[in-house]
Amino acid sequence: MKTYTTTPLFAALILLVGLIDSAHADNDNELRLGAYLIHYNAQAQDAVGTGAAAVPSGYHLNLSVDNVQTLYLAYVRHLSPHFDLELAAGIPPKTNTVGKGSPTFGSVPFAGQTIATTRWFSPTLLVNYKFLDPSSAFRPYMGLGVNYTHFYNNASTAAGDAVGGGPTLVNLSDSVGASGTIGISYRVKKDWTLYGSYSQTHIRSAAELISAGASRKTTIDFQPGAVVLSAGYSF
Amino acid sequence: MRIFRTLLLSACAAGLLAGCGGSGTSGGSVNSSSTRGTLIQNPPLRTASVTATDFTAQLNATSAGPGLLQVAGAPTCGIDFHYIQYATVGGAGEATTATGVLMVPTAPANASPATLAQCTGPRPIVLYAHGTSTVKTFNLAAISDQTNDANGESALIATMFAAQGYILVAPNYAGYDASTLPYHPYLNADQQSKDMIDALTAARSALGHVFASGTTDNHKLFITGYSQGGYVAMATQQALENLGQPVTAAAPMSGPYATEAFGDAMLLGSVDIGSTVFIPMITTSYQNSYGGIYNSTSDIYESAYATGIDSLLPNTSPLATLFTQGKLPQLALFNSTTPTPGSGTTPSTGNTTLDAELTSVLALPSNPLFQSGFGSNNLLKNSVRIAYGADALVNQDQAIFTSAGAPLANGAIFTQVGAPLATSTTYPLRTKLQLNDMRYKRYSSSTTGFVPQHPTLLCGGANDPTVFFSVNAGTMKAYWAPMLLPNGLVTVLDLETGLGNGDPFTLAEGGFAQTIAGIKTQAVAAGATDGGVSAATQAYHDTVAPFCTAAARGFFSQF
Repeated sequence: MKTYTTTPLFAALILLVGLIDSAHADNDNELRLGAYLIHYNAQAQDAVGTGAAAVPSGYHLNLSVDNVQTLYLAYVRHLSPHFDLELAAGIPPKTNTVGKGSPTFGSVPFAGQTIATTRWFSPTLLVNYKFLDPSSAFRPYMGLGVNYTHFYNNASTAAGDAVGGGPTLVNLSDSVGASGTIGISYRVKKDWTLYGSYSQTHIRSAAELISAGASRKTTIDFQPGAVVLSAGYSF
Repeated sequence: MRIFRTLLLSACAAGLLAGCGGSGTSGGSVNSSSTRGTLIQNPPLRTASVTATDFTAQLNATSAGPGLLQVAGAPTCGIDFHYIQYATVGGAGEATTATGVLMVPTAPANASPATLAQCTGPRPIVLYAHGTSTVKTFNLAAISDQTNDANGESALIATMFAAQGYILVAPNYAGYDASTLPYHPYLNADQQSKDMIDALTAARSALGHVFASGTTDNHKLFITGYSQGGYVAMATQQALENLGQPVTAAAPMSGPYATEAFGDAMLLGSVDIGSTVFIPMITTSYQNSYGGIYNSTSDIYESAYATGIDSLLPNTSPLATLFTQGKLPQLALFNSTTPTPGSGTTPSTGNTTLDAELTSVLALPSNPLFQSGFGSNNLLKNSVRIAYGADALVNQDQAIFTSAGAPLANGAIFTQVGAPLATSTTYPLRTKLQLNDMRYKRYSSSTTGFVPQHPTLLCGGANDPTVFFSVNAGTMKAYWAPMLLPNGLVTVLDLETGLGNGDPFTLAEGGFAQTIAGIKTQAVAAGATDGGVSAATQAYHDTVAPFCTAAARGFFSQF
């Protein structure tokens, strides 16, 4: 499996924060509240099993992830007139993983079936650069950062168990990956600002489905794209 | 700054903690007890689930499927295939594990009352023993994998039994698939019967816990198997009857039941098709089970093959590859220069009369089929034939010698009433073949070898060039003849001749004859000049299988 060297990026972020932090002014803290509208362009390898769990040739066991909406929460530190540090997270959404590929596995329905559910704890730390003068009402911005995702409450559904061939455990490895955002802010009044942004995040997880002791594995690139609409209060 | 660090640290810590735990190991429960018959993974993995309609379509999409459907009939039931893993023992009594298949008939809830009655609720169990496989990955549960060596046999028994409403249990045998045993206890009656019984115990403990939980055991038990599995089925019937456990009926098919007589026939020169596989499978099994077959493999095998032959079979490579690589000869079991004890450099047995007899008996046979088992680059040393042959001539198995004491040619048996085993043996391999012969008094609770206590059908074909029908089914029939068993307890069915008046198996016999005729016609059309005899001979053993299995099902349906 490919690993992503996010450590240098992370170190650079910390360094950057250290360099600009000394320049901060009053009202340098901000809390944002809003909505995450997330869609996934999930790409996975066809699941591979060995021995009794081998997926016979001709079958393609792949998956997609249903869109979700959830609450967006962020703490933002205004580092300088042009730089913000944003720690964003959502109320961990429950997502449905849906079978994609062969319509059936044997006579068991597969494609289109919700085969598993999971919740995500997926905070993202971003450094945003804001264009234009701080006095401008509208300010476009773009940011770069790092996302960490931990999956929990992973569960196979009855349809997932039927495809897997027995009670199924779903294990998803944690992911650390790059995240990028573009957005625009509109200052309503001194302390209140509205935001609209679009983010792309790289989330890759090694998935293992263990059905009645038999393991099938795949690697999933979730590739979520998120539209965020939020309001921020600075203090 | 501090707040960020704190947040970051706590996020990482949460990640680390979660990363350390939370990943399970199974799905279902695991029982790693070494108690025989323990189902290791419960519920067992369902490897495939097919409706009757889908199964029919899948069979029709294969080359052998339409013919099989013609013999077996269209599936009435859907089938859930489960992969069972269970605790059993090896040939020396050592604890080990093995795997197999549990096929559960199914029907949708909206099926007709007749279908629901045939495919769900309390159903009979067929315990099936498979034929010889040289392929280590043999797995009857891998029904969706057409490349698995077990696929054809799995489809046959699924179509014949599970699709008609029988719960089917079949071990892959210790030493195959994911079994932890490093060898296979081939034709070891005690071990193989235990393996079958342990698979049955494990499968029974899975019923009710699988997806088709409404299909249950109605406590009728039928035992069958083909070729090696015919032998294993008979040994299992004997073991269960000895334990006093219920058996409804049994149908061993084309099996090497009389291992001593069969071994004698083979070593004296009636070389069967497949002997270069059977001999290493047997010697490896008995060496691991009992020891003393050889001190070194080079004691019995020619130097070209001796190295590694004790771990060659079963192998992850297909048999054709082993032939190509020169690991085994395809046909030449014996050297075409046959031994002459006491002449030249060949040592005498110490008895000139015996030397002369051996020279004559071990000479090249006239039957061209047996002759093809002789050649250069042969597998077994001539010294084995001399030592084994001397034992066989001195301590005669009465099944294969004339009343005058001369060995019968061409794998025939002397139909002497009782067909008793040799009263003693001297050559280690022959001693163990006798120990595993179904005529051998295996259980102290019995005064005889195997005598069926429940209805039994022995099915095969008289011209079988792989497992000689006369030497095996014929010997058992002769062995039972003086015992005056109750009428109808044992039926010996030769597909070539049938049973005569009132024969209920005429469809199977007719289908078999038609198929053999078809093979000959095809061969002639493809240019054969022998009337297709050679092609029919090569295909004979495998061709018997579906028709005897159909006969077995017909036989079972009476009970």
